[in-house]
Amino acid sequence: MNNNVLRVDVLPRTGSGLIDSRALSTKKILPKEIEINVKTIRTSLGYTVKADLTEQERGNAAKDLFSDPIIEHYSLDGSIAAGLLPDLGRSDITIQVGFKPGVTDNRAMAAEDGLRTLFPRRKTKVASTISYHFWFGNNTPDIGPIIALLHNPMLEQFAILESDRRIEHLIPFPVLPAQNTRKSESIDLEVGDDELLDISERGLLALNLQEMKAIQSHYRDPNVKRIREKMGLPVDAPTDAELECLAQTWSEHCSHKIFAAKIHHKDTETGESTTIDSLFKTYIMKPTLDIQKEVDWLLSIFHDNSGVIAWNENWSLCMKAETHNSPSALDPFGGAMTGIVGVNRDILGTGLGARPIANTDVFCFGPPDYSGNIPKGLFHPSRVFRGVHAGVRAGGNESGIPTVNGAIIFDERYLGKPLVYCGTVGIMPRLLPDGRESHDKTPTPGDIVYMVGGRVGFDGIHGATFSSLELTEDSPSSAVQIGDPITQKKMLDMIIEARDEGLIQVITDNGAGGLSSSVGEMAELTGGADLDLAVVPLKQAGLSPWEILVSESQERMTVGVKPEDCESFEALAALHEVEATAIGKFTDSGAFIVRMGTDVVAHLPISFLHDGCPQLELASEWTPPTHAEVILPEDSQMGEALLRLIARPNIASKEWWVRSYDHEVIAQSVIKPFCGVNHDAPGDAAVIAPIQGQTQGAVISNGIIPRYSDIDAYAMTAASIDEALRNAVCVGVDLDLIAGLDNFCWPDPVESQKTPDGRYKLAQLVRANRALDDVCRAYKLPCISGKDSMKNDAKLHGEKISIPPTILFSLIGNHKDVRKAVSSDFKTPGDRIYLCGESHQELGASEIAYMLRDETRGQSGIGGRIPEIDTTRNLALYRALTEAMQKELVSSAHDCSDGGLAVAISECCFGSDSGARVDVSPIMYDCNQIEPWGAMFGESLGRILVSVKPENSEAFENSMTGNACYFLGVVEAGDTISVNNGDTKLISTSMSTLRKAWKETLDGGGPQ
Amino acid sequence: MTQVRIAVLSGFGINCETETMAVFEMAGGSPEKVHVNMLVNGDLNLDDYHIMAVPGGFSFGDHLGSGRLLGNRLRFGLRDQVRRFVRAGKPVIGICNGFQVLVKMGLLPGDEEVTLTQTASLALNDSAHYENRWATLEFDQNSPCIWTKGLTRIRVPVRHGEGKFVTSDRELLDQWAKRGQLVAKYVDPSKEYPSATDEVLPYPISPNQSWRNIAGVCDPTGLVFGLMPHPEAYHSTWLSPDWTRDEGIEHGRAPSITIFHNAVEYSLQSKKET
Repeated sequence: MNNNVLRVDVLPRTGSGLIDSRALSTKKILPKEIEINVKTIRTSLGYTVKADLTEQERGNAAKDLFSDPIIEHYSLDGSIAAGLLPDLGRSDITIQVGFKPGVTDNRAMAAEDGLRTLFPRRKTKVASTISYHFWFGNNTPDIGPIIALLHNPMLEQFAILESDRRIEHLIPFPVLPAQNTRKSESIDLEVGDDELLDISERGLLALNLQEMKAIQSHYRDPNVKRIREKMGLPVDAPTDAELECLAQTWSEHCSHKIFAAKIHHKDTETGESTTIDSLFKTYIMKPTLDIQKEVDWLLSIFHDNSGVIAWNENWSLCMKAETHNSPSALDPFGGAMTGIVGVNRDILGTGLGARPIANTDVFCFGPPDYSGNIPKGLFHPSRVFRGVHAGVRAGGNESGIPTVNGAIIFDERYLGKPLVYCGTVGIMPRLLPDGRESHDKTPTPGDIVYMVGGRVGFDGIHGATFSSLELTEDSPSSAVQIGDPITQKKMLDMIIEARDEGLIQVITDNGAGGLSSSVGEMAELTGGADLDLAVVPLKQAGLSPWEILVSESQERMTVGVKPEDCESFEALAALHEVEATAIGKFTDSGAFIVRMGTDVVAHLPISFLHDGCPQLELASEWTPPTHAEVILPEDSQMGEALLRLIARPNIASKEWWVRSYDHEVIAQSVIKPFCGVNHDAPGDAAVIAPIQGQTQGAVISNGIIPRYSDIDAYAMTAASIDEALRNAVCVGVDLDLIAGLDNFCWPDPVESQKTPDGRYKLAQLVRANRALDDVCRAYKLPCISGKDSMKNDAKLHGEKISIPPTILFSLIGNHKDVRKAVSSDFKTPGDRIYLCGESHQELGASEIAYMLRDETRGQSGIGGRIPEIDTTRNLALYRALTEAMQKELVSSAHDCSDGGLAVAISECCFGSDSGARVDVSPIMYDCNQIEPWGAMFGESLGRILVSVKPENSEAFENSMTGNACYFLGVVEAGDTISVNNGDTKLISTSMSTLRKAWKETLDGGGPQ
Repeated sequence: MTQVRIAVLSGFGINCETETMAVFEMAGGSPEKVHVNMLVNGDLNLDDYHIMAVPGGFSFGDHLGSGRLLGNRLRFGLRDQVRRFVRAGKPVIGICNGFQVLVKMGLLPGDEEVTLTQTASLALNDSAHYENRWATLEFDQNSPCIWTKGLTRIRVPVRHGEGKFVTSDRELLDQWAKRGQLVAKYVDPSKEYPSATDEVLPYPISPNQSWRNIAGVCDPTGLVFGLMPHPEAYHSTWLSPDWTRDEGIEHGRAPSITIFHNAVEYSLQSKKET
């Protein structure tokens, strides 16, 4: 070992009131996940430090920085890392885990910062490790599964330490092999079609033949050749930087080619045969633009990083939801963390910069109790769940942004690709101190381009194109990164101050496609940009120009600053210890020019870059699928069925997971994720009052119901939108100021050899879009931003797993007075219970249908009527109900969705810690062809379960006149929930038994 | 009216500065957001303020132990300014991560000479993970703490992963108790007031299994106060987790504002006296 290298290792002290709780929680996971029990585990954190320190300084560093003198032991010779512990002695075996070279190591970076505080001006380099020390007792288990569980081979390395000379086998300081700086190269496109496709595939470009040929013909243009000659570029062929830049800009991820495609759509049921010129323009943009004509609060839609609405005279709100699916499959923790901090940057990059104030997280995973085969290269769903949750927790909590709302959905088809939807709400003053409107970017040619925040490295090359491909065993590790929330938080603080000082003319984030996309996109606003890659700060030497251009290394914003403001901008960056580097300028030259020092490495006409991608032409064909009908048990089985249904992961309480998100930072949280007397009943939508002390609020909700697309993606989409709105109505949203976000995750819908059922999947997409159009128009719910992720398939060892077509519909709305917000919990025994909205025999694709299917091994099907939407009826009801809330007539309101009325009643009772007595005969009497199972477990849309104080019931009933509203019964003291249909008893059950089952499924447990 | 200037520290992952400023303003003070580096580089001077607040957050990502790195920045980079401030008898509060900072830099539970020697710590919760839930606190009526005067019991959210208050010297613990420095404790809300006890209460009444249910401590003078829970997050009645169940609720400021009000009043008072 080099004597410049110091190993500091710290071990939690135990005994007399102290425990190693990190070790104990690992000990708890082992039997659950890999069926291994061990006698004792301890953990220690390690730091390998390269620094010139004297003996005394080393001791000071250990005492003042690395260890806590009150609760930790430390060693300076590697002994603790190797499992030679000061209290327990020698471990049976120690597994040390550290990062591979080049992977973001946040703990190490923090340590370097800490060393700078102690020893200013000293150069240091740190790598972090963690050691798990095991004592097995009598039976030594197979170590393989333990190692597999404790590290992710894509990002981490490990050492097994068991011999006498174990210290010699500690992980050495991770060093990237030296790279020679590579020059830009040109790529000959004057080749056959097969070779063109080969070039695309080899380079992970994800470009199809038509697109490759469009690029080929661009380089045949004599005008192009002339300019290239002048610039000193290869005349006949693109450089690697150009080709990469085009691939990023034209990727499905960045340019939404499927939504822009021309689609020949057929419907075998109706005989329809039409051509749709862009789903996006026809079904998403058009209705929103039509709504925009009628309202004055849609400030910025579609073109920016998030959509912006006017919330009141002084403030605007914006919202964006993103997905981070592929990276989360490969590294759940890092992938999800970059997902959440990435969407935060979309908010920061909106207008002239908005402040993120709330996060939403919606995940879709394989079943946590999945016991089937896991294809090689994939993680068990419970590990994906744990990792994604931890990543979003760290990303959100460390950024100081509350996670206010979310959902977790389970289905076997998410085994191949989990869906990780991360959403963020932002706020900005409508006017900046200098008089500019904050939602508009104001770049002019001559503005200086700054890269702010993190540095560029090998991590994050090809994220955008990679997510446009299906997942395979060969998926590159460079596409996965770990986020660095603190670097981003410092940058966020700095950017908001720069905005308020009027220093920002234009801003966007560096996400997919890196600088090529961020600068390329903003260059469109002024008509050009000129960039020098040689000055871009790098994490490690050796990146070639194209890699610098497309790397998606995290925590970076690109900002345009007027030349006269640069000094102030840089001073602000220095104050916040944020790196800000001038890397070029915006121009009106008509081209995006990229240099590496004195060499030009790319010259791309803006028009070709942004409009040159040929429109796809696709075919879709709809034939409704057929499913076996649901076989319903006897009515007497209902109570038992409810007990099993409520424990299903899709319905079970997610409290244990949600509580580890900070949902209250910023001190604005009015309706929290949980409510009720014990704070454990599920809330519907979040209500926040973002200006401390003021009572105007914002409502944030989500709707997602992927299983309906097994019958019809139209119904799935309609139900998702209705669910989001219903949730918002439950808390009393202002229906005149609501906006939505459509977020599509689809399996590949393009027919090909790999996807023989592409036409059907595309028809599902067409139907989903039509639902979006119909329902959003009817609800006057404009979509202000959206996202699509179209390749959610995984292929592993020949087995293709496609996700069910999934839409997350997110909603942001106004709340006029948060003091009138309503929560879902029943309040007081004697309160009267009403069901608002019509119920139908709609059990098709319901949660109970899936439960019965699973329990009968498929004998009972999921077929049957799927919930149908009646937007006119629903909207009238929502208006009447929110007006009743304004008059403070409603004590509680809860959405009827997964599991139907039976689950809704139970959850409302959990909140009041009481029972209820209900008679469903008014529903049975009024609604056509409904049977008890349909009434109790059907998932008809437009229904909200409310409770009302007896003294308010007359006024409430009056205010609901003209809408379906059924008096069902009363809240009762005690523990019994009883449901009758007239004289027939349907359910009589213990609330606390139901609650226990509901809580147990996903409970992670308390202190060790 | 005399102005009470409050330096609300920011930067490096502190993230509760907005609401901390808001509550000081509600309490009649004049808070200013002060980036730690502005004090280090001399743009601002702590001497010009009457109160210092270290808000909650995740300074430096809690790596190397919560509060350690920011604590070191203050302990080494701002040593003289901080000591002068405390010795001048000016109130200091640290909330959550800010409390962790004050404990790690040795300002809490502290000593008369303000030597900045660490004597206690905040260990990982026994549950080993971060949690956001509401807790109930009771305050030692015999404490010299100026921040908690007049408060008996309040409800507050806790939001942390490392909040288990411990020390390596149990004699010190008794000494702190005797002097009223163990000022805030988690209690069972279903029990009649006063119910504070030294016996560790079950999870989640004690969310972190802190020794003697300690949620917050003050220094020997009672001017420096820190606590894990977030009183600033409950400034208005509509922020409680179950306000919708309170039938006769009269909306307005919540009781935990008193903490901030006390310090502003104290500063006004001491300004009058000097």
